[in-house]
Amino acid sequence: MSDDNADDHADSSGTTGERIELVGLTKRYPGQAEPAVENVDLDVAAGELVVFVGPSGCGKTTTMKMINRLIEPTSGSIRIDGRDVLAMQPDQLRRHIGYVIQQIGLFPHMTIAQNIGIVPNLLKWPKKKVAERVDHLLHLVGLDPTVHARRYPRQLSGGQQQRIGVARALAADPPVMLMDEPFGATDPITRLRLQDEFLRLQRELRKTIIFVTHDFEEAIKLGDRIAVLRERSHIAQYDTPANILARPADEYVASFVGGDATLKRLALHTVGEIDGEPGAPADLPGVAPTATLREALDVMVARGSDRISVDGTVVTFAQLSAAVRAADAVDRQQTTAGH
Amino acid sequence: MSLTEYIQTRWDLLSQAAMNHVLVVALSVGIATVIGVGVGVLTYNRPRLSGIAIGASSGFLTIPSFALLGLFIPILGLGWTSTVVALVGYSMLPIVRNTVVGLRGVDAAMVEAGRGIGMSAAGVMLRIQLPLAWPVILTGIRVSTQMIIGIAAIAAYVAGPGLGNQIFDGLARLGSVNALNAALAGTLGVVVLALLFDLFYLVIRHLTTSRGLRV
Repeated sequence: MSDDNADDHADSSGTTGERIELVGLTKRYPGQAEPAVENVDLDVAAGELVVFVGPSGCGKTTTMKMINRLIEPTSGSIRIDGRDVLAMQPDQLRRHIGYVIQQIGLFPHMTIAQNIGIVPNLLKWPKKKVAERVDHLLHLVGLDPTVHARRYPRQLSGGQQQRIGVARALAADPPVMLMDEPFGATDPITRLRLQDEFLRLQRELRKTIIFVTHDFEEAIKLGDRIAVLRERSHIAQYDTPANILARPADEYVASFVGGDATLKRLALHTVGEIDGEPGAPADLPGVAPTATLREALDVMVARGSDRISVDGTVVTFAQLSAAVRAADAVDRQQTTAGH
Repeated sequence: MSLTEYIQTRWDLLSQAAMNHVLVVALSVGIATVIGVGVGVLTYNRPRLSGIAIGASSGFLTIPSFALLGLFIPILGLGWTSTVVALVGYSMLPIVRNTVVGLRGVDAAMVEAGRGIGMSAAGVMLRIQLPLAWPVILTGIRVSTQMIIGIAAIAAYVAGPGLGNQIFDGLARLGSVNALNAALAGTLGVVVLALLFDLFYLVIRHLTTSRGLRV
């Protein structure tokens, strides 16, 4: 995270994630009896995408903003790759942490290329290298530099703007990214597409990402792990999506998961309905095509695998959760049509 | 002698006076912009302070210009100094107020995004907030200019520069040869200057506002 190796950041290989540790993190605002965030301990492995999910006002955004010190903690410590974040100069620190917000926050008076180039320019990259990086990032998020680089944010659609927001956060190839409900302001269809693209991107980049949302479906879809937060940012459960779905730690998590509805749906459908990829390795845990999704999930959790074999094909957890969502959508349509 | 003849025969004198008029207005607005935008930047997010700044500059505007210039003579003497100080004072309100309003109108998400990606507070102000508030601030500067072009004519009372000398001279000798022509030529000159300044601001606005804000 030092400036000396800033030149190395634009390698095509890219900087992968670094570990984030929060220890006893607390934020107390003057004049308020209760702390907004109380004594949070969290260890995020390098390269993992961790979703903070919880109701509004639970302190999830406050917790996230303490990591790049937009909010200064009252006590506790934060380490990224073992380095004490609170000992760094905040502006320097933030130049090495990608940041995406719900309002996107592209600067309307700057072109797309200028918006993406801000952080590399702050880091004093040579002009040519900045231009190359901008082109590379536009390609990465699926936009054509010759068409979009010289346009202004207001000339783009909401979905395109959000892609630029992500590209800007990735500009200096930071090991860590913070994302505050980044897809929250887009329509449902665009949101699904942005989520899919983002997952594909993250598989390639392996950044360490803290992703804040109040949408549990989004958390399931995107998270390597999910931290379900309750008031004062207390961690009710911190686990993989599969484990949280199968074994909610308590009533609170269960209610947040949507409790029975989702679990029932898991029991209503069979894995045979999912089209798996052929060529399952022999050592993969398997279930029969007639097994319910619930049973399949149990096997995944029990064997600590995010994939299982069904009749020789591979079914992943992502496909399983997609099937639940699809079933959910069908149910809703039928309910609407019935009225 | 008709007005046209008067203007033709005294063109050198009149154009010199007009040039001085432009100079004193431009100088005053320039100084007022530096001070006014500075005050706006320092106070826009402190409602009490910006209230005081706007109150003081609007209070200043209520002082009759004739009286104020007269009061300046014993302190600042005759000529440019008194004129410029008075004109700067009269320019303050629109500039300070529009700077405060313009900066407050910038979406908080812009500031958060700027800080969040590692720009310093000063960097965000210079590169994000001021450019976004600029169209509003420029409108304030334009209103100030229009106001003090008229007021600058009164500066002739303290032997200040500009077209006011023609007007005062003419009015003092009303009834004598060319007195009316002098007063009319001075007044007409002020009106023409006001129009030219407005045109100038249209061009400036076009050149200094990002295309991204106009789309």
